[in-house]
Parts: sequence; C-alpha cells; structure tokens
Amino acid sequence: MLETEELKKVFKGKTAVEGASLYIDKGESVGLLGPNGAGKSTTISMISTLLKPTSGDVRLNGKSVIKNPSDMRRVLGVVPQEIALYAELSAYENLKFFGRIYGLTGKALETAIQHSLELVGLVERQKEIVKTYSGGMKRRVNIAAAMMHEPEVIIMDEPTVGIDPQSRSHILEMVRKLNKEKGLTVLYTSHYMEEVERLCDRVYIMDHGKIIASGTKDELKSILSSEETVWIELDRPYPAFFKELQSIESIKQAIETEKGIKLILPKGSRVLGKVFQASERHHVQIINVNVQTPSLEDVFLHLTGRKLRD
Amino acid sequence: MKSVYLLQWQRFRRAPIMVLSFFVMTIIFVGALAGNNPAERPAVMAYADDSLAQNEAEDWVASLNEAEEFQFQLMDEDAVREAVSSGDTSLAVRLLEDDYRIVLAADDMSRFVIEAFLDRKYREELRLQQLEQQPGADDIRSEAAAEMEEPALRVTTSTLGGIDEFKYDNQLQLLFGMTLFFSVYTIMFSLMKIVEEKKQGTWNRLILSPVAKWEIYLGHLAYSFTIGYLQIVMIFLLFQYVFNFDIGDRFGAILLIIACYTFAIVALSMLVMSLVSRPQQLQAVVPIIATGMAMIGGAFWPIELVSNQLLLAISKVLPITYGLEALKGVAIYDRSWQELSEPISILLLFGVACMGIGINLMERRTY
Ligand SMILES: Nc1ncnc2c1ncn2[C@@H]1O[C@H](COP(=O)(O)OP(=O)(O)OP(=O)(O)O)[C@@H](O)[C@H]1O
Ligand SMILES: [Mg+2]
Repeated sequence: MLETEELKKVFKGKTAVEGASLYIDKGESVGLLGPNGAGKSTTISMISTLLKPTSGDVRLNGKSVIKNPSDMRRVLGVVPQEIALYAELSAYENLKFFGRIYGLTGKALETAIQHSLELVGLVERQKEIVKTYSGGMKRRVNIAAAMMHEPEVIIMDEPTVGIDPQSRSHILEMVRKLNKEKGLTVLYTSHYMEEVERLCDRVYIMDHGKIIASGTKDELKSILSSEETVWIELDRPYPAFFKELQSIESIKQAIETEKGIKLILPKGSRVLGKVFQASERHHVQIINVNVQTPSLEDVFLHLTGRKLRD
Repeated sequence: MKSVYLLQWQRFRRAPIMVLSFFVMTIIFVGALAGNNPAERPAVMAYADDSLAQNEAEDWVASLNEAEEFQFQLMDEDAVREAVSSGDTSLAVRLLEDDYRIVLAADDMSRFVIEAFLDRKYREELRLQQLEQQPGADDIRSEAAAEMEEPALRVTTSTLGGIDEFKYDNQLQLLFGMTLFFSVYTIMFSLMKIVEEKKQGTWNRLILSPVAKWEIYLGHLAYSFTIGYLQIVMIFLLFQYVFNFDIGDRFGAILLIIACYTFAIVALSMLVMSLVSRPQQLQAVVPIIATGMAMIGGAFWPIELVSNQLLLAISKVLPITYGLEALKGVAIYDRSWQELSEPISILLLFGVACMGIGINLMERRTY
C-alpha cells in the first residue's frame, strides 16, 4: 500500500537519510528501529509529505505522492515525536480544532472527539488544560489528535518517550488493538526494542541514515541463528576453569561476567559436555546454566556493534 | 482560514496578559506624560533681563501668551534660577529687550519646541516694531492685524513634512507616538505564534490537514491585523472620549490610516520572522525593532525636531514615520486627502513589499 524507493535527504551537506527503501502492506504493523540520530524522524517526515526528499520516491498504492501529496495526507495520521498541541487549551478544545480543520462539524465532530478520547482513555479529564497534564497524558492527547479524521495509516514517531509505565502500556495496548481489531496500518518508530517486539510484525533497522536490516522478527533473529549464547552462573570466580574454557576450540568466545561466564558458541556445537567435564575437574560449583535465544537487541548489537540505547 | 483565525482568538482569551499589558502600558504612558489636565497649556517660567523694564517685560509675556501655545509666567529672576537649578523645571526663558535666552537645566525635547516658538514670535514682533519706527506708521499694528484678517492675497504654504508650519501638540504627539509604538509589540508578538507553531509541531498538523497553506498564513495574519487594529482604535476612542483629547472629527480618515499602518507592521513582522526563526531570538529582536523604529520615526518626540540627516534618511524607510505623519496630518494639520495619499500609499507599498519578501523567505527555509 505504501512504499518508498531509495529515499535520500541531505541537510546542508549532511546526509540524514541515505537510500531508504521500505514498504508497508495494508493492515500491517511495521517497526522502524534505530538509535538517536539514525534518521527515523527524517524518513517519517518524507513519507508523510512534510519534507521533500533530496532524491527517491514515496508511493501510495503505486502513485507517487511527492508532486501531489493530498492523497497521502487524506489517509494518513501522524503522531509527531514532539507534543504538537496548543498547551493553553484543553484536550477537548485541541481535538475540536484538529477535527475542524479536517472539515468535521456538529455531531460528527463531537462523536469523533469523544471516540478519540475514549481510545486514549482521557474522557474524564478532557476539559483540563493540556499544560497541566502529565507527560503521559500529553502523549495520549498527541495520539488522539492524529486519530480525529479516522486515518487508514498511522505513523507514530516515538510515541512513548519519557512517560510513566502505565501510560506506556496503555498506548501500546491501544496501538495493538487498533492494528489487530480495526485493521489500521501502523508504522511505529522507537528505540525501545521490546515495544517493537510486542507490536510489530515486521521491522526495519536503521543506523546512520541507512536501513541495515529488515524482515519479520524471526527472520531478523535468524541473522544470529549461527550463534547462541550460554550463561553459566557460578558461586565464585574460577580462573583456572575459565582459562580451560577459553582454550576449547569450538567455543568462539568466553567472557567473564559478574555472576559467572558467558559463552558464545556456533549453533549446534554440542560443546556443553566438554564444559561440564572441565567443571568437574576444577571442582566448580555451577548454580545455573542458561541457553539464550537472541533478541532484537542482540541483532542490533550484532549489526552495529553498539547498543540501541545507552 | 476561519478556524485558524478563530483558534488564535481562543488562545488569546486563555492567555491575554501579554497583549493586554501593551494596551495598558500605552494608556499609562500617554496618561502620565500628557498630564491629567490635557486642556492646560505647558507653563514656561520667564524673567526679565536687567535691560528690560518691568512693563516692557509684561508686554512681551502678554504678546507671547497671545498665541495660546504656552503659558509664560513672568517671575522674579532669583525664583526662576532657583527652580531651574533645583530641577523643578527643565528650562526657563530670560527676556531681553529684543532677544531672549533659554536657561536650561536638562536638555529635553521641549527646548526645541519652545525655541522654535520664541524665534518665530520675536521675529514677528521685532518686524512690527521696526515698521512702527517708520514715519506715518502710527497705526501699523492694527493695520497689520486687519490685513492679517483679510489679506489681499492668501499664500498657503503646505509642505508634507510640515516643517515650515510646525505645530506642536504634546497630547496628540504622545497619543499617536505611544500607541503606534506599543502596537508594534502587540502585532509582532501575536504573529510570533507562527514561529511557535512551527517549533512545537502544530504547524505540521495544519499542513497535513486539508487546510491550504495560504489559509494558515492568512488566518494568522488576519488575527494579528485585527488585534493590532483594535488596540489602536480602542486607545484612540478612550482618549478622545474619556480623557478629552482632540483628534478631530475625521474618523474615517483616521481609521483608514490605522488600517494601513497596521497592515504595514503585520507585513514587517512577517519579514522579521522570516529572517529570525527562533522564538527566543525574536523575544530579543522585537523590542530592538520597536524602540529603534519609534525613536527614529518620531514616536517619542516630533520628527520635525530632528535635524540629523542620517536619522532623517533612515526615518524615510520606517512605516511608523508615515503612520505618524498621516495621523498628525489629519488630526493636527487637517490635511486634504490628496496630501494624505502620499504617506498612506507608502505604507501600503511598504506592506506589500515586506509581505512578499517575508513569505517567500519563510517558505524557502526547510524545517
Ligand atoms: N532540519 C534539519 N537540519 C539539519 N540537520 C537535520 C535536520 N533534521 C535532522 N537533521 C539531522 O539528521 C540526522 C537524523 O535526524 P532524525 O531526527 O531523523 O533522527 P532520529 O532517528 O529521529 O533520532 P531521534 O531518535 O533522536 O529522534 C541527525 O543527525 C540530525 O541532526
Ligand atoms: Mg526522531
């Protein structure tokens, strides 16, 4: 339904996005992951016709929207990264205005306001001034404002930054419902892995303006499927045991951690037997052994050599 | 456009303090500086030089007071010197036989006004005295007066600058100057909401909606225009009817001039905002522009008193100069429409130019 082709944006000689190609099918929930400054917001601005790409194309149902953005704007709801609201007005008044500029009036407007408020769970406190809301409530109104005209596609730019866990889980649950039950198409930007793991079917990972990986969650994790991580918890450090593990050929890497030892092994290497033999020889007390499957966080670490958040 | 326009009023009702403060400030400044008895003429202390007999001095004072522009009071020299040195009055006049001296405590603007007035009166009086000396001219004074009443030939000099026939009306100078000065703040800060919206992101919401971009701009521009216009009109009405100022009866002309001036300032604000795009920077820039423009353009003191060529040249490109010229033209000099058309059309031209450049520059900037 929505696709971009080789999107590129250069700000005064500085390349913010380079050759981003992505697609979103109707009813899909797609995540866009990346650390600060990766170019997520810039990509989103180009998709939502707020920013002209330096080169490349954005298409809606096969039609370019760069020359003629009105089709895209009609079906699109954008939740910006910042709180884009009139702080001196109430939530109700904000929504009323944003509904009005979409041509809603009278009863239809009133229904849309109440519906949006229900979605974000702010019906009771709708008459309060936005300025007096908590960060989480502001974020919720920020979302409600993008829902007033019942968009088919919603693009959310880090909608849960800096808010309390309660508001956060409310928002996540709401987005999940809208996507699964109402069939809303979602493009969700975040630097929280767990949010994207929970909400999205497919994920794009961005770093330094480039999309460095994409696919379903399982596909992405299979990037790491050639390796697995084994945590061995010990009652105290055993330097001799550690030395011996390091010398075992099929162990890629042995790392001493706070609680014990972390091993990175090629998948299916059947090396654990050797590990246990060594532990017996050194009279090592093993408290716990944990074989870990990779998370998106690990994928990101693997791809960029960096953590998503510091 | 209508929703954007109405939204600004809704926001104004929620946070009216800033605009109201400029409104109140205008009233306080004009009220305080014009004094509470606006009908009274400014008083000027005078004393006679030794060369002048008491009755001659009284004659001079009487003749000076005839003009009904100032209230000259003949006093004892010591008392006057005491008043000047203690700062009770900023200046006094020493009357000589055929000349005068101004005794100054502080160099304020009233000095120029009084000097111009005295110069004119002394020349007139001395010329008449000279004629009286001529044989057969016993009755020259009454003849001259009669001639003045019914001249054989009336020569009216009217210059647009009004320098040749400078009339000083302290009240109206203050009213017009302060009102136009403070309205610059109201208008610029109101239009600054555009910059704030761009920064806060609500602008993007508007852009994504079916409302056209020109409608968004127009909504903001119309709001700033209305609020600036209303502020000026309400202050004029207040001083005209409550404080008994006399701005004359040509209300139509005054309303038109206010509209053109407001338009020019709205356009100027647009230009300023296209050059300075951060709200905090604007907070600093607006007062500089408003005060600078008011000082050079004659809002704080009559421009007729400025002789520095550079300042005069700069004043020619400031809308406030033409706003004041047109307002004084109507209220003080009762100029014809033809004479008023020059400042009015300059204001409009200025507005169109600033608006064009401003919107273009603003749109070229990528956010
Ligand atoms: N208007 C602009 N002018 C110049 N540079 C810009 C502009 N907007 C973004 N950039 C730069 O482009 C890069 C990408 O920014 P962008 O906001 O898209 O990142 P992001 O992934 O959204 O980061 P964050 O997680 O912090 O929101 C950054 O280096 C940023 O400094
Ligand atoms: Mg961002």
